[in-house]
Amino acid sequence: MLDKRLALVTGKGGVGKSTVSAALALIAARRGKRVLVCEVNAQERVAPLLGAPPSGPAIRQAAPGISTVNVTPHEAMREYGLMVLKFQTIYDAVFENRMVRYFLKAIPSLAELVMLGKILNEARSEERGRPRWDLVVVDAPATGHAVQLLRVPAALIDTVPGGPLRRDVDWMHELLVDPRRTSLSIVTLPEEMPVNESIELDAQVRDILGIPRGLLFVNAVPEVRFTPEERERLAALEPAGAPAGPAARAAVLQGLRAELAARYSRRVRTAIDLPSAEIPLVAAETWGREAVERVADSIAGSV
Amino acid sequence: MGELVESLAGKRVAVVVGSGGVGKTTLAAAVGLERAMRGGRALVCTIDPARRLAAALGLESLGNRESRVPAHQFAAAGLKPRGELHAMMLDVKRTWDDLIARHAPDRHRQERIFQNRIYQQVSSALAGSQEYMAMEKLYELVTERDYDLVVLDTPPTVHALDFLEAPDRILDFLGNETARTLLAPALGVGKVGLRLFQLGGTYIAKTLARFTGAEVLRDLADFMSQFQGMYEGFKDRAAAVRALLGQPEVGFVVVSSAAPLSVDEALFFHERLHAESMPIAGVVANRVTPDLWPGPSPLPDPSDLEGALAGAGGGNGELGRRLAQTLAEHQVLARADRRQVERLFAATTGARVSVPRLESDVHDLAGLASLAACL
Repeated sequence: MLDKRLALVTGKGGVGKSTVSAALALIAARRGKRVLVCEVNAQERVAPLLGAPPSGPAIRQAAPGISTVNVTPHEAMREYGLMVLKFQTIYDAVFENRMVRYFLKAIPSLAELVMLGKILNEARSEERGRPRWDLVVVDAPATGHAVQLLRVPAALIDTVPGGPLRRDVDWMHELLVDPRRTSLSIVTLPEEMPVNESIELDAQVRDILGIPRGLLFVNAVPEVRFTPEERERLAALEPAGAPAGPAARAAVLQGLRAELAARYSRRVRTAIDLPSAEIPLVAAETWGREAVERVADSIAGSV
Repeated sequence: MGELVESLAGKRVAVVVGSGGVGKTTLAAAVGLERAMRGGRALVCTIDPARRLAAALGLESLGNRESRVPAHQFAAAGLKPRGELHAMMLDVKRTWDDLIARHAPDRHRQERIFQNRIYQQVSSALAGSQEYMAMEKLYELVTERDYDLVVLDTPPTVHALDFLEAPDRILDFLGNETARTLLAPALGVGKVGLRLFQLGGTYIAKTLARFTGAEVLRDLADFMSQFQGMYEGFKDRAAAVRALLGQPEVGFVVVSSAAPLSVDEALFFHERLHAESMPIAGVVANRVTPDLWPGPSPLPDPSDLEGALAGAGGGNGELGRRLAQTLAEHQVLARADRRQVERLFAATTGARVSVPRLESDVHDLAGLASLAACL
């Protein structure tokens, strides 16, 4: 998937999409690629995870080989407006008008269209005869919002008959559904709600979006560390004093979590017929560059 | 009686808020169950419950229908409630439709709005729509039914703040004067929709149409003209909902996990509720990794544990290593969680409850009951 131009990453809120996006960028950069990571109108996480300050709405280098950007509707609208209108003064007169800006927010799908347009434009841009970025990673919004965002071009093809907007929509759609250039990966936790949501999301990717599917990442999977016999024995030790009691309790909890996680991981990997990668649970006190490096190490062989 | 339960004792409404994925739905259900156990008639209004939890609450059907959790579900969980527990799932689209039906002057106008594509977008996909309708439904449930307690589980927004701002934002869109001015050529013709909306008149509209297509603007003009006259009714109603939320019979419950971002959101929301003089019943830190190691002494190394295991029937050297590692990792997470919970509790008021990460998912009434015991 890292040899394509565009890697879309989505999943339920809170499952670790940003961490996986940052890890994918690290792996690609280690392989000598120039990577851009796009967040979509989000509280920025990727640059801080890589140990850099947030980049804001302008593209900025976060680490060697990795740039990041937070794509906002306002900034994307400005760029798109300038591309179409060519003249700053006309743009300002119309789009910087307070009432128009407010009004644009209400027009169905316009914000999604311009944000997606900016991202996809980065993915296809060339400079001096070669791609500006070897890989664009999109830390997409959570499930429902991601589907809303990614289906805009297909939806507009049905409603926009012709003209400049239609031409833009056409190339955007072509790029999104091109298996040589694009893949969409799903991140989940091995828990009930995220797994159910992932299964529904995958069906939507296939049936509604038609975007080529990439990998399934099962995040934060605790390793199976104790045998059933050991767990039974340790359970009996729980009431004991320190150090055996607390250690046994920690082991019992770990065992239960690992068992539950294994069950949900199995369920989601059975239900979704994609190559999958399990990311082991990383016990880190603070979540930053070091933790992301560990996640990258754990999936480098799968991507 | 736990701190939070006590704080909610005199309340008729509990609004459970927090960022996505922190366990709001489950907590809302536990709060409702607790009241029912003590003899109250409680209703839990949820948004998108996990399937097994929905099944446990008897919520197999969608669509705004209130239903009582059947007695056999309680019996199966070994519970004997003295009151009643009811549950329902919010249907955003239907709540919108009901609201339009309530305010539309006639059937024709109502149908016309239902058919409009902008309305369809507003009522399903517009940001804040779900939040607005949750508030709207809550108002109806509180003013037109006779529950002792209505518990509202709020939608999984990225930013908890959206919840408070949604009605104003949407009404601002629906009744916006500037947008009317912008669309004046369309609104002025009187019989909008019967003839094609001509954009020719205004420079701004013409430029905009290059982006959106004239059709979208025409739909929008039509929608706003249909909505004219209903706006006041909507606004009064939203003001009434807002006033209700400030009453002392309401208690907001702010839920957070121990993840730093979730705590940031919870603190932000708490501050905002405070600033708006909304009654805060309490703050819940959910799924906190429990601290298992007593006092400041250093964690045991493998040989310590090996020794302890030897006394209890022996072990192999390898098990001691795994145990030491597991305990150490557990304590790393427990320390990180504790720091976040301390940060959360230091800056908040009202009841403060820390719920340990339970050993399995809560997906039945028995699980809810043990969760309720922590509150």
